[in-house]
Amino acid sequence: MLLKPNPSLGVPIYLQLMEQVKHAIETGAVRPGEQLPGIRPLAEELVINPNTVAKAYRELEHEGVIELRHGAGAFVSLNARGRKMTDNLRAAQSIVAGAVTRLRARSVTEEEIRRLFEAELAGLTRAGERND
Amino acid sequence: MTEPPIVETTELRKSYGALEALRGLNLRVPAGSIYGFLGRNGAGKTTTLKILLGMVRPTGGNARVFGLDADAPETSVAIRRRTGFVSEDKDLFDTMTVEEIVRFTAAFYPRWRSDLEQRYLRKFELPAEKKVKDLSRGMRTKVALLLALSRGADLLILDEPTSGLDPAIVEEVLQAIVAHVASEEMTVFFSSHQIAEVDQIADRVTIIDGGRGVVEGAIEDLRENYRRIHLVFDGEAPKTAFRAPGIVRTRRKGRTLSVLLSAGTERVIEEARALNPVSVDVIPVTLKEIFLETVTKED
Amino acid sequence: MLWYRSWLETRWRFLIGLAVLMCAAAGIVLLWPKVVELLPVASNLQVSGRIGKQIRESVELQREYPSYIWSQWFGKNLTNMGTMFAALLGTGGLLSQRSGGLFMLSLPVSRKRLIWTQAATGLAELFVLVLVPSLLIPLLSPAVGKSYGWGDVLVHSACFFVVVAVFFSLASLLSTIFSDVWRPLLLAIAVASAMWYLELFALPRPHYGIFRVMSAETWFRNGQLPWQGLLASAAASAAMLYGAAVSIIRRDF
Repeated sequence: MLLKPNPSLGVPIYLQLMEQVKHAIETGAVRPGEQLPGIRPLAEELVINPNTVAKAYRELEHEGVIELRHGAGAFVSLNARGRKMTDNLRAAQSIVAGAVTRLRARSVTEEEIRRLFEAELAGLTRAGERND
Repeated sequence: MTEPPIVETTELRKSYGALEALRGLNLRVPAGSIYGFLGRNGAGKTTTLKILLGMVRPTGGNARVFGLDADAPETSVAIRRRTGFVSEDKDLFDTMTVEEIVRFTAAFYPRWRSDLEQRYLRKFELPAEKKVKDLSRGMRTKVALLLALSRGADLLILDEPTSGLDPAIVEEVLQAIVAHVASEEMTVFFSSHQIAEVDQIADRVTIIDGGRGVVEGAIEDLRENYRRIHLVFDGEAPKTAFRAPGIVRTRRKGRTLSVLLSAGTERVIEEARALNPVSVDVIPVTLKEIFLETVTKED
Repeated sequence: MLWYRSWLETRWRFLIGLAVLMCAAAGIVLLWPKVVELLPVASNLQVSGRIGKQIRESVELQREYPSYIWSQWFGKNLTNMGTMFAALLGTGGLLSQRSGGLFMLSLPVSRKRLIWTQAATGLAELFVLVLVPSLLIPLLSPAVGKSYGWGDVLVHSACFFVVVAVFFSLASLLSTIFSDVWRPLLLAIAVASAMWYLELFALPRPHYGIFRVMSAETWFRNGQLPWQGLLASAAASAAMLYGAAVSIIRRDF
């Protein structure tokens, strides 16, 4: 179900994992209340550090996406916060779609769009002072 | 974190005559971590590992494993009782069969785990009757790994565990290590110059260059803190030096200026903006780039 | 397990040496009738000078069975081959690179214990190499109608062992200095050869020659054990083995 994270991307592995879990929930590959793979088996399967998996799961629990039940494992949350995330994601998706469309209309290339988003996420960028 | 580090070196030095292999290495490997030790060939990795195991004597500083002095003969034996080691050349007794070398090794470890021995014999599909010298490199590595893992050790020291192995076997070896750590309480300290595998399974790393540690920390932290700032100017890139701390490398090329920093992105951006660049890009950096920028000479 | 490993390391050298020496001992006993045949011919040799005196003396020794055995076995064959096998047993070792030295060093065994086991195994094998072929002599002598004392064999074997151990120890020490197998072996043999010829031509007095002590000449001639020589040999061996141990314990691998 989960794909092997790519360490050569600039994105931390635990974040990649979190994204994958959220995407899996998003697309319905795992439903609310269903169990996710345990930390150890998942680390073994993906051949990544168990601490990394643990961190991803902790963060997901913190965000309310999953629940860690002591002794039982990790389960997808049933509560509204989880569903709200899904709705949020849908809304976010259309915002991004709109932005990308408008940027493409300005002849900004895909690669540049990607870099702009990266830079914005990294905290700072200034697209101003660019010649039109 | 009150637990003492499993491996700790303080200003560790080693000279072979005129050649200084280690020039003051400071290392702290926390219990339960998978710790990567990255460096180019000849940077001092193997020397460090050998010092930890009592095979090489340091010329300065000290090294402690499980809190014990690695240089004293008696404590060194105590350390080796709880440590598994796989050397770079996978040194083994060539004339023994797999079965024989397993029995031989088991005799030295009262905490030998027969269950692990059986598990790995099956998992690695090792031919018990075959002599070690007749095994392929991949098989040899697996035998060495079996011997290291089955002894019920608390620490596993590996010197370039996947060197010379084909990608399928590399994945098998890494998988075995991760699986073992997942089910047993163990610390892994391995040296490598394969950045991809350190990226994949390690949680902490030290990059060693010229006998000294140049980068150290949790890999996730390094990924979050290291950044490359790319500046483009209207004319020639200015030659000013940045005063902000945390700058690792600055490169000038024509109208562009590229700065690699280990922390403090905001401050550098401030200073950069004062120079009136046309564009400022902040780009995340991979472990490979961090490695390449910190171990190669500035041009 | 270390003893077993030590045995595996040296087993072929030991077994081949044992086979060779046993054949040599048996050969010397069984050649006796032939020697008796040839003796009258040898008596007609006319050689002058100090060398001539030595040659005549050595011929005289072949006349009687005990002196024949002493000069041919303890004095010559065992000396030559025994010295060589002693050096051979002393080379290499548990920590040599070829035999998985780094693996051995990663085990929870102190270097002291490794060296001790290695030396003890080598010396035990050396003792057997000296004693067992020598025991063949009283065993086989009746086949040529002669007898040789068990007591004499034991005394000679013991003395021989103490002295030949010097070359074992020398080879062990040289093995810690040179990393290959050949140089320690060849150097030890070269030293032994040099001492042999020195003794042959330069030293008339029995006491100081290492090979005279090895063959326990004073016991053979007067029933007196060469205590000084034996003690000196034991001391030399101990010193060299200690030197080898120190060298290994301090080394980087």
